[in-house]
Amino acid sequence: MDKRDVTPAAVIGLAVAACLLVPVIWPLDQSAVALDNISQAPSLTDPGGTDDLGRDVLHRSLYGLRVSLLVGVVAALVATVLGGLIGGVAGLLGGWTDRILMRVIDTIAALPHLLLGIFIVAMLRPSLGAVVLSVALTHWLSTARIVRGELLSLRTRPFIDAAITGGASRARILTRHLLPHVLPKIALATTLMVPHAVWHETALSFLGLGLPPHLASLGNMINDGQRSLLTGAWWASIVPGLVIVTVTLAIAALAARWRDRLDPRVRAELEL
Amino acid sequence: MNALLRVEDLSVRFRLRDAVVQAVTDLNLSVRRGELLAVVGESGCGKSVLAHALLGLLPANATTTGHAFLDDIDLVHCGEKKLAREVRGRRIGLVPQSPATALTPVRTGRTLLAETLREHGRDAALATAIAADAGLDDTDLDRYPFQLSGGMAQRLVTALALASDPPLLIADEPTTGLDRPLVDHTLDVLRRRCDNGDAVLLITHDLAAAERVADTVAVMYASRIVEHRPAASVFKTAAHPYTAALLDALPDRAFQAIPGHPPMLTALPAGCAYAPRCPRADQQCATPPTGPVACHHPLVTS
Amino acid sequence: MIRLIRRRLAVALPVLLATSFGMFLLGAASPIDPALQYAGGAVSTASEENLAQIRANWGVDDPLPIQYLRWLTNLIGGDLGWSTSRHQPVGDVIAARAGWTLLLIGLTLLVVLLTSLLLGTIAAYRRGGLLDRGLRAAAYAVESMPVFWLALAAIAVLALALGWFPAGGLTDITATTTTLSDVAHHLALPVTVLAISQAPWFLLFVRDAVAESLLEDHVLAARARGLRGRTVLFGHALRTALLPFLTLIGTHLPELVGGSVLVETVFSLPGLGAVSVQAALGSDFPLLAAITLITTAVVLAANLLTDIAYTAADPRVRVDG
Repeated sequence: MDKRDVTPAAVIGLAVAACLLVPVIWPLDQSAVALDNISQAPSLTDPGGTDDLGRDVLHRSLYGLRVSLLVGVVAALVATVLGGLIGGVAGLLGGWTDRILMRVIDTIAALPHLLLGIFIVAMLRPSLGAVVLSVALTHWLSTARIVRGELLSLRTRPFIDAAITGGASRARILTRHLLPHVLPKIALATTLMVPHAVWHETALSFLGLGLPPHLASLGNMINDGQRSLLTGAWWASIVPGLVIVTVTLAIAALAARWRDRLDPRVRAELEL
Repeated sequence: MNALLRVEDLSVRFRLRDAVVQAVTDLNLSVRRGELLAVVGESGCGKSVLAHALLGLLPANATTTGHAFLDDIDLVHCGEKKLAREVRGRRIGLVPQSPATALTPVRTGRTLLAETLREHGRDAALATAIAADAGLDDTDLDRYPFQLSGGMAQRLVTALALASDPPLLIADEPTTGLDRPLVDHTLDVLRRRCDNGDAVLLITHDLAAAERVADTVAVMYASRIVEHRPAASVFKTAAHPYTAALLDALPDRAFQAIPGHPPMLTALPAGCAYAPRCPRADQQCATPPTGPVACHHPLVTS
Repeated sequence: MIRLIRRRLAVALPVLLATSFGMFLLGAASPIDPALQYAGGAVSTASEENLAQIRANWGVDDPLPIQYLRWLTNLIGGDLGWSTSRHQPVGDVIAARAGWTLLLIGLTLLVVLLTSLLLGTIAAYRRGGLLDRGLRAAAYAVESMPVFWLALAAIAVLALALGWFPAGGLTDITATTTTLSDVAHHLALPVTVLAISQAPWFLLFVRDAVAESLLEDHVLAARARGLRGRTVLFGHALRTALLPFLTLIGTHLPELVGGSVLVETVFSLPGLGAVSVQAALGSDFPLLAAITLITTAVVLAANLLTDIAYTAADPRVRVDG
C-alpha cells in the first residue's frame, strides 16, 4: 500500500466503523430535544456543539453519515446495475442498437439531474426509497458508457478472437473473458459514484425533499443549522458539512489513485 | 579556427521507468561560420536528440552533460531563460523533424509565418518571399496544416525556420517527403546560407544529400560520432568501416545492406558499438576507440 | 452545419417527448390528489360536489393517454397549466423568474470560464510549481464540498461575521426600486459561491489539457522558433487545447443548473430554482414539470450551440463540412 493511501483509507475505515458501532455504543434518540442546552458552542465535552433544539451535533452527524453512506452505496449499486445492463446491451450488440442507445444517453446527460431528482422525489413523496431511486436514475449514464466502451474495445482484442475461433460459447466468452476485464472498471466507477450519490442525497435533504425532517441526516442537519447560523451558532451547519467533505474527499482520493493504477497512461516519453 | 558552435563531450541520457537510454555519448564537433556540417546516420542513432539538446528542448527525464558553446554562451548550462530570450530562433533556428505534427493544427501557414516574423522584429509582409524561398506557393500559405501534403508541410516548416534568419540553422531531415527537384532546391537554399557566411547543421540519413552540399560530415552510430572529416575525403575514402558500409548500401554504389542491427541505446556495449557487425573487429575492439575516426582498425590512416 | 442541427434535433425531440411522458406517468402515479391541492386551505369546507366539479373541469378522471395528450398539446400551444403551489398560471411564474436564473447562471459561467482558462493555463505552464499544486489541492477539496454548504459558510463568514455582503435576497429590504448597484451587491456572493463550486472541474480540465498540449510537437516547434512564452502558451498550447473544452461547456451545464437551484434557495433569490423547490414541497406537478422540461430544452439548445461553435472554430471540421 502506498504511503499516500494511508490517510484516506484510515478516514474511510473510521467512518465505516463509526457507522457500524455508534448505534451500539452510543445510541441516539432521534426525537429527543434538550431545550435547556441549546446552541452550545463546541467544547471539550461536546466537540460538535449543540443545535437550536439542544441536540448534540456531532452525535447526530455520525448518525447522518450512516444514512448518507447507506443511501449513497445503495443508489450507486442500483445505478451500476442499470448502467451495466444498458451499457452491456449497447456494447455486445453494437450496430444500430449501440448508436441509438449512445445518442439517448448523450441526450439524457443533458437533463439537469438535480431538477429531475427533485421532480421524482416530489411526485413519490419524500422518502428513503424515492431518494435512492432519484439518485440511481440520474447516475447510471457514466457506468453505461464505461461498460459499453470496454466491451467494444475488448471485442477487437486478439484473445477474444482466439476464444471465438477456439469454439467457446457466447456465455463462456462473456463470463470467462469479458467480465474479468470489465468488472474492475465497473467497481471503480461505482466507487467514484458513491460521493456523487452522497452529495445528491444531502442536496435533496437540504432542500427538505429527502428524509423526514426529524431524522438525523447530514442534509437535514445543514438545513436545520441555517436557523442557528443567524444567531451565530455556525457549528450546527458547518460540522455536518465537514463530515461530508472529509468522507467524500477520502473516497474520491482513494478511487482516483486506484484509477491511476488501473489505467496508467503510459506516454511515449522518448523520440530519437 | 573561428568556430561558431563548439560541442565538447556532450552526453544525453533519458531515464525511463526501467532503463536508461544513452542517446548521445561524449560527442565532440564544431561548426565554423560559412560551414555546412552534415550529421549522418541511421534513424534512431541519436541525431535528433542532438538537435533538441542544443536548443534545450529535451523532455524533463533527460540529463545533459558536457558543453556546447555558441560563441560565448554554453547552451547546456546557460538556463531556460537565456535560451528562450537569446538563442532559440534568434541565434539557432530549427527545421523540425516530422513537419506534420510540428505545425499548430488550428492556424494557417500565413498566420504562423507572420507571427514568427513579427516576434523577431521583421516585416510580416516578407511571408510571401520567405515561403517562395522555401519553395512554397503563396496560395498554399492560406491552407491549414491538415490540408497540406507532406512535402508542402515540410517546406512550410523550413520557411518558418528561415523567417528569423538565424546565424546557425539546424535542419533535421529537411527533405523528407519532397521529390527530387524540391530536395535539390531545399539543399541549395541551405548551401546559399553558408555561402553568405551563416552556418548550417544538416541532420539527415540521406547520404546523397550530404554529398551534394556538405563541407564536413560527421557520421553517427549508436549515440557516438565515429568519423568526423571533410566531406570530400569521407565520400572518396571512408575511414571508418561503418561509413564504408553505409556508402556501400547506396543504390548507385554496391547497393548492399549492412548485415545485423544497430545495438539498443539502452544496452550499449562497453567497447566499439559497431564491432558485432564489423568484418575487421578483433579483441582490441572490446575497448572503446577514440579520435576523429573512432576505430582501432581504420580503412585509411591520415 | 444544417445536417448537424437536424441530426441533433432528431434525437433531442424524442428524448424530450419521452421525458415528458415519463414525468407524466410519475405524476399520475403520485398519491397526491390535485383537486384537494387546488382547494388548498378550503379543503375542509369544500363539499364533495365541489371537488368532483374541480376534477371534472380538469379531466382528472379521464383515461391517462387522453390526459397526457391534452397536457402535451396544451404545452405545445403555450398553455403551461395552473400552478397549484403559487396559485397563478405556470407561464406567469416562469416568465417572472427565468430572467434572474439566467442572469445568475450566465454571470457564473462567465466568471468560471475566465478564471479557469487563465489560472488553468498558468498552472499548466508552471506545472509542479506552488501555484499548480495549490490550485489542484484546492480544486479537489472544493469538488467534495456541497455547494449549499459552501454557500452557508460564505454567508456565515462574509455576510454575518464581516458584514461585507447581504446574506440573501436580490435587493435591500428597504429599497423600493431595483437598482443595478444594489442587485450587483446582492448577486456578488451567490455568483462567487456558485463559480467557486463549479470552477474545479473546468480548472482541472484546462490545466490537464494545456499541460498535455505543452508537450506536443507543435508547441516544441513554436518554442524552437523563439516565440515569446506568452505567445507559445496562449497562441499555440491553449488554442489547440481549447477546442474540446468548448463542447464540454455544454455538457457541464446540467451541473450548473443543479448548483443554481441550491444557491438560489440558500440566498433566497427569486429565480426558478427556489420556486421549483417550493413546487416540489407542494407536489405542484404542472409547475415542476414545466420547469424541468424547459430547462432541459434550454440545456439541449446550449449543447447544440457549443457544438456549432466548435464546428465554426475548428478548421478541420469546418472545411470538411
